[in-house]
Amino acid sequence: MTLPSTPFNPATLPDNDNVPGNHYAYCRRLDGQLFMQTGRMIAYYPAPGSSGIRFEPLSSATITGFVAERFSAPLYTRDWVVATGSGHLLLGDRGYDINSYTLEEGNLTLRAANLLAFDSTLELKQSIVPGFLTLIGTGTFLASSSGPVIFAEPPIRVDPQALVGWADCPSPSHHFDARWMTGFLGVAGGMLGVVSGEERQFDFTGAGTVLLQSSEHAVDDPHLLKQLESQVGTLAVPGLTRLQSVIQSRLSAEQRR
Amino acid sequence: MQSFRLNGSRVLEVELRGDAVRAASGAMIAYTGDVAFKSAGMGGGDGIRAAIKRRATGESVSLMRCSGKGTVWFAKDAMEIVVIDLAGDTLKVESEQLLVVSDSLRTDVAFAGLRGASSGQGLFTTTVTGSGPLALLSAGGPPIALEVSPQYPLVVDPQAFVASRGQLNQTFVTDVSWRNLVGEGSGEAFSLRFDGTGVVYIQPEER
Repeated sequence: MTLPSTPFNPATLPDNDNVPGNHYAYCRRLDGQLFMQTGRMIAYYPAPGSSGIRFEPLSSATITGFVAERFSAPLYTRDWVVATGSGHLLLGDRGYDINSYTLEEGNLTLRAANLLAFDSTLELKQSIVPGFLTLIGTGTFLASSSGPVIFAEPPIRVDPQALVGWADCPSPSHHFDARWMTGFLGVAGGMLGVVSGEERQFDFTGAGTVLLQSSEHAVDDPHLLKQLESQVGTLAVPGLTRLQSVIQSRLSAEQRR
Repeated sequence: MQSFRLNGSRVLEVELRGDAVRAASGAMIAYTGDVAFKSAGMGGGDGIRAAIKRRATGESVSLMRCSGKGTVWFAKDAMEIVVIDLAGDTLKVESEQLLVVSDSLRTDVAFAGLRGASSGQGLFTTTVTGSGPLALLSAGGPPIALEVSPQYPLVVDPQAFVASRGQLNQTFVTDVSWRNLVGEGSGEAFSLRFDGTGVVYIQPEER
């Protein structure tokens, strides 16, 4: 049998890099602990003579103390595991590009769906911007993106779908196209559903770095619903009633399609 | 032997000279010459015994037989394609990753233990035996070939598994507890461990 390419083994796999010729898979040389999203392990080689790699849910009793110190993002705990052990760990994320980044005494905020794994030396917090997570400290993390990542410096306005994350700069604000704003004010807000797709942007100012992906196809975020749910708790009866009517009209519009 | 040629990494070009190949139904994107396409029947062209096995096991495979003279181009969902030449040995493959097999190869169903049950892809796996080329699909990026040797056993996510060959012993690692909590829509809590000597092909995306 002839092979399409020489198979890899732990001696030929990179220690901490993308699998050669493959942007969509990453090989991590594990020796200790790594936080990673569930279901992203595609394969691993246990280090010879070791007991292999274990994957434990964050709620696992043996690691709760360790986790609580580093992972303060309660919305996401069910989607993360701690990998413990030594060996070569191969990660893949639904065919998205995977890249590794190093933080040195820094902070970086990332769309939650784009964060794949991070060193246990880093600390993770839920960002005040819904749907984003902030990493603080020193260490390496892996992020996925739809297409390669582009680095840009503020001041910059970016399309929300293309935003992967940002480092060191203050939180972004929304920016709305002036002409759209005029129209919005003119028709008294009734036209919220009318969008051209480009009137809303994120505005970054100050010093720092903004990470963009080269495609407007956002990495699917299974957490959106959870974020919305978590915010419903802050509403009182009038707000809930209003929300209910909004959902009703959206539902009937969807069903009429 | 038939010639399977890649045209880019996502399109396969097959030259037919009066012989035949079997391909995943609906995977033909273009052809020239005089080629006939016919469903290979419910057994995927392996006769009634395999058909009954497939019925019983749920390892379904929907193949069409393409015969004649000409060139046929195959592709599926823009997935990456890998061509493997078999020389009398056996390849175990996940049936939905099969794109084209040469008619000189025999496909059958083999018991694959609990793997199928855990990933919802049937209790059984497809085997391809004989001499000739076949083309496999890989979702999410190029497939990765990983060597298994006595020194280096390998553990694989069943949903990333594409194919394996060689003298491999397949067991289940059940101490993996991440999927039975939430998981990607499945209650699967197994990893596949391969010991022995051989090669395992995986894809960077999970089915």
